[in-house]
Amino acid sequence: MPDIVGLLMWPIKWVLEAILAGAHWVLESLGMDPFSGLVWVLSIASLTLVVRTAMIPLTVRQIHSSRKALEVAPEIKKIQDKYRGKKDQFSREAMQRETMEAYRKAGTNPFASCLPLLIQMPIFFGLVTVLTEANRGNAGVGFMVTSLADQFRAASLFDLVPLNMTMQHGFEQGNVPVIITAVLMTLIMCATQFYTQLQIMSKNQTPQMKESPMYKQQRILLYIIPVFLLISAWAFPLATMFYWLVSNLFTLVQQLIIINRLPNPGSDAALAREARLARKRQRMGLEPEETDAPAEESAPVIVNTQRQQPKRKTTKSQREGGGK
Amino acid sequence: MSAFVLIPRNVCIAILVAYRTVVSPLYGDVCRYYPSCSSYTLQAIQQHGAVRGIWMGARRIIRCHPWAAGGVDDIPSPRRTMTTTRLGFVSGAA
Repeated sequence: MPDIVGLLMWPIKWVLEAILAGAHWVLESLGMDPFSGLVWVLSIASLTLVVRTAMIPLTVRQIHSSRKALEVAPEIKKIQDKYRGKKDQFSREAMQRETMEAYRKAGTNPFASCLPLLIQMPIFFGLVTVLTEANRGNAGVGFMVTSLADQFRAASLFDLVPLNMTMQHGFEQGNVPVIITAVLMTLIMCATQFYTQLQIMSKNQTPQMKESPMYKQQRILLYIIPVFLLISAWAFPLATMFYWLVSNLFTLVQQLIIINRLPNPGSDAALAREARLARKRQRMGLEPEETDAPAEESAPVIVNTQRQQPKRKTTKSQREGGGK
Repeated sequence: MSAFVLIPRNVCIAILVAYRTVVSPLYGDVCRYYPSCSSYTLQAIQQHGAVRGIWMGARRIIRCHPWAAGGVDDIPSPRRTMTTTRLGFVSGAA
């Protein structure tokens, strides 16, 4: 069994080592000390940036997909009206079934699937194994040769904080700088994670999303995430924590850009964006012709909400016709 | 049906139920299919047993990616339907 896992992890480790060694080589060429902890921290940070940048197309695709889902909005609205007020399990299931089928027919889907999340796990696991191997002074599977591994093993941030130590080591050996760094990093990670989640949940979700029971559960678990982070900070070396930290910051910035520029249609962020654009147009002066495109964009939304009523009437008349 | 035969699937079900209450809500509704991958796997294990259920669930997770069309995707209907308790554990054949 471990052989199969090792075989699957081999290409991931090879790529990770190539990026790490490459970044290290570039920084060394720029005149930095190859033995310093800072070079290794920056190498790991560049690795994070490369990995996350490679994943941007996935995110962008998803945003466009949820944009396209707006075209199906009238149909989804119809399904929701049909099941309005029905809270029992069977109605909810039937509603979800019809909603998913409507999305599939329209050739769009607002959900990302769990692949973007799943893909990050082997990468993080690979990084942990690569760094653990390097820590033992062993050569990796590719570019992480013994000399590089030795450099990593000796790397210490500002000659105070050895990167191969965990928070646990810090407490065991009474190494105050390590403890302070680990605690500080955990706090920053908790703060960024918390803020990102809060931003998504309070601003970038539509009223329908907020009605789902999943949303309430999500709110509670928001407060449990920091505990998980603290446990991982305890067990993983500082070097791997830097990967997580930079990744968190990346997510935060990415999410803020999404909320500002491409908010989920129908969410508070989308309304805020519309208001912001309207104010900007006002400030720009009285040029009504230039506001044509945004006005057209907002007009169908109003029409959609008005269309609900005729639709309700038709279902009622159908019911009456069926009754007769 | 002997209770021993049901042990492997009920162990898997316990793990999945724990996952669905603790881990799933962390990242919300993301599945492109109905039922969601974890719900599909749970049903597959309940109705088809641990081995076939895990196999079906794994294939479903591979099927669920950003380029998939999504939609309704139910488990293959079992030869005989199993009865489940309120928590999702299998008690026997219906």
